[in-house]
Amino acid sequence: MVHSRRKRPLAVGVAAIALSMLAAGCSSGKSDSGAGAAPKTLVIDKAFDLKTADPARMFEPTGELVDKALYETLLTFKGGDVSKVVPGVATLDESSDAKTFTLTLTGTHTFSDGTKMTADDVVFSLQRVIGVKGNPSFLLDGVTVTKKDDKTVVLTTATPTPALPSILANPALGILNSKVLKANGGSTDAKDGAEKYLNTHSAGSGPYVLESLNLASQVVLTKNAKYDGAATPTYTRVVIRNVEGATQKINVQGGDAQIALDLSGDQVNGLGSGVKVTSDPSANVIFLMLNQSPAVSRITSNPDFVKAVKASIDYQDLVSMAGAGTSQAAGVVPSMFLGALDKSDALRTDPAAAKAALAKSGYAGEKVTLSFPSDVTLNGIQFPTIAQRLQAQLKKTGINVDLAPAPVATELDAYRGGKETMGLWYWGPDYPDPSDYLVFTPGNVLGLRAGWPKGADTTVSALATAAAAGGSDEERTSQFQDLQRALNNSGPFVPLLQPGNNIAAKSSVTGVVYNAVWTLDIAALGGK
Amino acid sequence: MTRTAGDTGTTAGPRRNMRRGPARVRGTGHPFARYVLRRVVTSLLLLVGVTLVTFVLTNLVPGDPVAASLGQRAAEDPAIVAQFRAEYGLDKPLVVQYVTYLGNLLHGNLGTSTTTHNAVSSDLAAAVPATLEIALGAIVLSVLIGVLFGTLAAYRRGKTTDHVLRVVSLAGLSVPTFWLALVLYYAFYFQLHIAPGSGRLSSDFNVPPTITGLYTVDALLAGQLDTFLDALSHLFLPVLVLTLYTVGLLTRFVRTAVLEILDQDYVRAARAKGLPTRTVVRAYVLRGASVPILTVVGLAFGSLLSGTVLVESVFSWPGIGSYAYQSASHLDLPGVMGVGLVIGATYLLVNLVVDILYGVIDPRVRLA
Repeated sequence: MVHSRRKRPLAVGVAAIALSMLAAGCSSGKSDSGAGAAPKTLVIDKAFDLKTADPARMFEPTGELVDKALYETLLTFKGGDVSKVVPGVATLDESSDAKTFTLTLTGTHTFSDGTKMTADDVVFSLQRVIGVKGNPSFLLDGVTVTKKDDKTVVLTTATPTPALPSILANPALGILNSKVLKANGGSTDAKDGAEKYLNTHSAGSGPYVLESLNLASQVVLTKNAKYDGAATPTYTRVVIRNVEGATQKINVQGGDAQIALDLSGDQVNGLGSGVKVTSDPSANVIFLMLNQSPAVSRITSNPDFVKAVKASIDYQDLVSMAGAGTSQAAGVVPSMFLGALDKSDALRTDPAAAKAALAKSGYAGEKVTLSFPSDVTLNGIQFPTIAQRLQAQLKKTGINVDLAPAPVATELDAYRGGKETMGLWYWGPDYPDPSDYLVFTPGNVLGLRAGWPKGADTTVSALATAAAAGGSDEERTSQFQDLQRALNNSGPFVPLLQPGNNIAAKSSVTGVVYNAVWTLDIAALGGK
Repeated sequence: MTRTAGDTGTTAGPRRNMRRGPARVRGTGHPFARYVLRRVVTSLLLLVGVTLVTFVLTNLVPGDPVAASLGQRAAEDPAIVAQFRAEYGLDKPLVVQYVTYLGNLLHGNLGTSTTTHNAVSSDLAAAVPATLEIALGAIVLSVLIGVLFGTLAAYRRGKTTDHVLRVVSLAGLSVPTFWLALVLYYAFYFQLHIAPGSGRLSSDFNVPPTITGLYTVDALLAGQLDTFLDALSHLFLPVLVLTLYTVGLLTRFVRTAVLEILDQDYVRAARAKGLPTRTVVRAYVLRGASVPILTVVGLAFGSLLSGTVLVESVFSWPGIGSYAYQSASHLDLPGVMGVGLVIGATYLLVNLVVDILYGVIDPRVRLA
């Protein structure tokens, strides 16, 4: 009895608080409360690799997706075709030597605060990318940006840079409102302090503005009322959430999300009739690298051993293991880029040739170490699975491989330092132009990682020099194809897979087109 | 004047005064206060040890944060690399880095994350409440159910109830939480439509104004009843998964502790004099078993706070586990150290609270 008497006031108190809250009239926490018409919300699930929304510091796939919606670029791509640039906020006049690029603003674009975009904004934005020395600053290496008049900006380079127009379409080079940026700590040097501002507000002319950003959980975008670009967005509010693949599948099936961006080839099976899957080859290329430095390995630096490895691999087996959308990489340049190799030029499995080359190499069954990032899953393909499959395939020819998995954060050091005997890695394009793949030639970034210095292969180097010079699209195509044929023949890289990219979307969402640079143009999505 | 647990008693007046007298003469305070002070000082020293261990271990990991944080091309540019090292103090000797870190720590500065570019303290301030919200829910439910199941199993030792509860607790312990989380999510969200989707809130809700970081509490404080209910419904599945595991652990432990107490003479005496079972269980058995139970509850709560990474991953819960994984995979040293410090401090705090509660429950402890 005593106990119940003591407890009663507490229960009454709790009830009183609850009742008083109800009586006081609780407000609503919903996004549309008091805003009039209910917003048309789109939920996109993506496994985040987001670090920032500041274009000058952003160079991750999630960042590209977000910044494509917030900012407009001088030039752009239409839909999924990244082999041809089209005007964005400006039109391009390129000199025949690919050293001078004159960009004229169309004059119709305004920022989300109503200010008209001028050449000053362009110069400020591009110089800021160069000056803050962030991840994308290399895109404008050797580029000088000058203002000609209020509507015209001229970019000049000392050497021919035929890739520059493709580079200018990258959302990292989006045009920002210079007045707003300067008022919020923005500058064009390393002292720039506008990142915090750009992670809470956007300062662009894109179809959306940033409502909120949480690097760990979600990014919320709302329609930019001042947007006057080509397509008016259908969805007034977009929530991009950080969700892992397995949960993405359940979410898109159940309708909690309308789009899932990270489903593997296996996961897209059995999604049901309410979900439509768009499968395209991604622009990533997974390759095997054999170190050519005798100091690193006497075995892998032997050209006959390299030939034996190339002929031992069962490429079709790897493709079927990877699942929907994946194809064999014919060369290092992905299939949707200018200069990509035809399937008929791809490396082929030839057990007899492999055995003959191995015998010629003098290989005596020594263990060869294959290093790879154990925690990398690319478009649903796990690197350890490929490594194990390669080990089994090479064993058939008589090559003994020791697997050396390590977390990517620790293994990158050995890879970039050129210390790996054999390495399993991938290259995601920095920009959709074949010149980004010149890194695979002697003395260049990846060449050096494979212990392949300048002068190591004069045939390949000569073809690379010719390809770098530029020319018409036809000329460039044939130059890069010749280069890749030579690389397949004598280079230390074995192009393996071009993984498929799957976008699963509710059938009510229309206009889903994969783009190799920004994955998805959110503003181009429609609704039924 | 130091206020102690003894001050709250209403009937212990004379005894309290008797105790306080000699303590004042010695100038060292009440024995219980001394006991608490000793535990606090030990915890602080251990915390310094935790900073040293996390710092050394984090820096011993092979690999370069530059390679992990900068893009392929940026990492090739010496100017960018130099700027990155200078910005995060990585260009200084390790000892200097540690001293600077400790100095900053005293000012509440945990450094800047190389991944998110935010202050680690603000990242943690967002992540810790997210985990705390599910961990608190799970521990409260686990203690209620675990103590009930454990006591029941002990009382019905060898009978069907005991066997059934043993199977339940073993299942809770041995089923992988990642798998369980996915299966329950599929069943409750997709098939049965009982639970909401992943995340802390539905996508059409705005985050309530941050006061505590616990969405349920913040929503109530802001008077947003619909947000509160939505946040509460999102807690359901993560809390359920964590509870199933922790109940398994507690049931087994409570059963053992209660069985030991049941054999004690004073319990036999209580039963012999005909006290109702409920009174025997509450006032004699559980009181006696409370010290070991408290120990395991403390440990379980600590591991709930630090070991929810897989559950967080399935339910897209931006908590401390996800932050730890993200920091570790990017070699984000300030982030990793921040997480290490928070988890270390959590364990120390939980242990401290448990130690103090020992003193409250069992006078022998505080007088020792």
